[in-house]
Amino acid sequence: MRASRRHKAVIVGTIILLIVGSIPLRDHIRYQRLVLGVRRPMPLTKIVDFDPTAITGVMVGAILGGFRELGAAMLWVKVHTLWNEGKGTWLKCLSLMRAVTLLDPHWIDPWRLTAWHLAYNLYVETDDAEQQAILLDKGISALKEGISWNPEESTLYIELGWTYFDKLDDYDNAAKWFRSCLQFEHPGYVDRLIAHAYERLPDIPKALDWYDYCLKRNPSDSIAKGAILTIRERYLDAWRLMEAGDYQAALATLQRHIDVDPEDTIAIHFRAHIYEEAGDLDAALEAWQMAVENFSLDDLARRKVAELSVALGKPVAPVPTHILRQRHPEQMAPVRRPPTP
Amino acid sequence: MRAIWLIAKATFHEAWRRRFLNGILVFGILIIGSSWTFTYLQPGAELKMLIDTGLGAIRFFGMLIAIFLGVRLIPDELEKQTIHTLLAKPVTRAQFMLGKFFGGVATVFANVALMGITFFIVYTIKASQFQKIAAEAEEGATYTMIFMSANIAKAIGLAFFELTVLVGIAVLASILFSWILGAIFSFFIYFVGQMADFLRELSSPEHGADPVSSIIFGVLYRILPHFEIFDIREKILMDDLVPWSLLGNITAQAIIYIVVILMIGYLVFNEREV
Repeated sequence: MRASRRHKAVIVGTIILLIVGSIPLRDHIRYQRLVLGVRRPMPLTKIVDFDPTAITGVMVGAILGGFRELGAAMLWVKVHTLWNEGKGTWLKCLSLMRAVTLLDPHWIDPWRLTAWHLAYNLYVETDDAEQQAILLDKGISALKEGISWNPEESTLYIELGWTYFDKLDDYDNAAKWFRSCLQFEHPGYVDRLIAHAYERLPDIPKALDWYDYCLKRNPSDSIAKGAILTIRERYLDAWRLMEAGDYQAALATLQRHIDVDPEDTIAIHFRAHIYEEAGDLDAALEAWQMAVENFSLDDLARRKVAELSVALGKPVAPVPTHILRQRHPEQMAPVRRPPTP
Repeated sequence: MRAIWLIAKATFHEAWRRRFLNGILVFGILIIGSSWTFTYLQPGAELKMLIDTGLGAIRFFGMLIAIFLGVRLIPDELEKQTIHTLLAKPVTRAQFMLGKFFGGVATVFANVALMGITFFIVYTIKASQFQKIAAEAEEGATYTMIFMSANIAKAIGLAFFELTVLVGIAVLASILFSWILGAIFSFFIYFVGQMADFLRELSSPEHGADPVSSIIFGVLYRILPHFEIFDIREKILMDDLVPWSLLGNITAQAIIYIVVILMIGYLVFNEREV
């Protein structure tokens, strides 16, 4: 029994009516999914940002369509298998980790572990300073890219802050990234890390403010309590004297503490900072150089030595590239020219 | 109605005799069961892997079953010429097509149910461990599991509706082309449908689309089924309640897709020489 022409016209009309009529429903579902956060969209602009060398991963992801996450999960199992096989497979692991971040960019762990793998594991596998700088760069870039995909996740901000803190001794940037995560749900120790970064910088009032904030959030925070006592006892007087412009008294106060504990990094940094504030850049350079001699891994001191040497027109000692590479020009040491006599 | 019911029943029984479909089902169940072994990953990642693998496998193997079953439903009857016997009886082409479609849908339902039950068993066993770890975590767990079970059930339900639409597309494709071409066409529609949001962006003049491509991509965006709407995985991992209103809207959309596909199928099948 074949359909009549009229019958067909009615069916075609119904089909068109259903397609057109369902457009508002589709748009509403799209709106609902967006508002409810059912699935975060992958904007076209982000696709353009993809690393071209990893485009195969993207292609596979696109072809897999709705199975990107399944593909990512399978690759992640492979990463674990390779990882357990040992160091010989670390580079293979890296490319797989990168593929996982492309397939499922909203999965936090692969970003975190890729960056850690670059900035820590692979970093110590080479002695070439240039290679190390590149690896650190890549690790930091991976975290920043992860943040751009997941701006509301505190984990990656913390990881980035920690990489600046631990690998570069760049406490400015560390504090900046730690603070960025505060607007989201975050573990309590981050507040202490901010205080600690300011303490190391050194910015004693800010460090005290943040330890105070930690205590207000958690009155039983014994670490914050101890840190406040230590700062008040060791550095606060010197800081106040420095702020009052009495640099000699500030240095003398600090020196009394350094005599007791000559390996106190914060005090040694603080001493150099006082010279900088006083405008005595030669003495500041000498103080930072002493810090480098005391602690060969003190990247903050090495960076300061390089920056001050440039400012004073002195020859710059060879310095690992990564120490300077991660800094913006405006973040370089605020060098004050010595006051004209 | 009786004719449709009888054809659907026969199709359902026949589908279970197809070995390759059973093979896909067994493989799917094995993959879902193997997600049990992700115990060496850290708890947050393990939970994510479990859900990604479980739901991903249901959708992936369900898709294979839906397409390979759907594209063979009518061509097999044509090849074996059994369709002549059926149509000689008081069975209309519409009833035959609907019977085949509903038989296919029932098979897909049974397959999804089996995979879903397997996934739920694995999830239920693992869930207690995850909850224990979450309760003991010092800084508070990075995950919660309040709405997870309900959301997983909803996701499986949506996967079924997604696959029902796909069976319809596969049946339609097999009427339009040969079954091999029909399968390729169905895969293509499925993958493009997963990326409907890209079509929308590509059609936008803001992204530099010229008027012609803007119209082409715009029409494709409006006509093609949006398969990505059936995926609520992100919401499951965030452990937020998936509201019934959203499920109702998605189901309504799926029903509209199915009705449109079946109507087009009817028009084409009606004109086809058998």
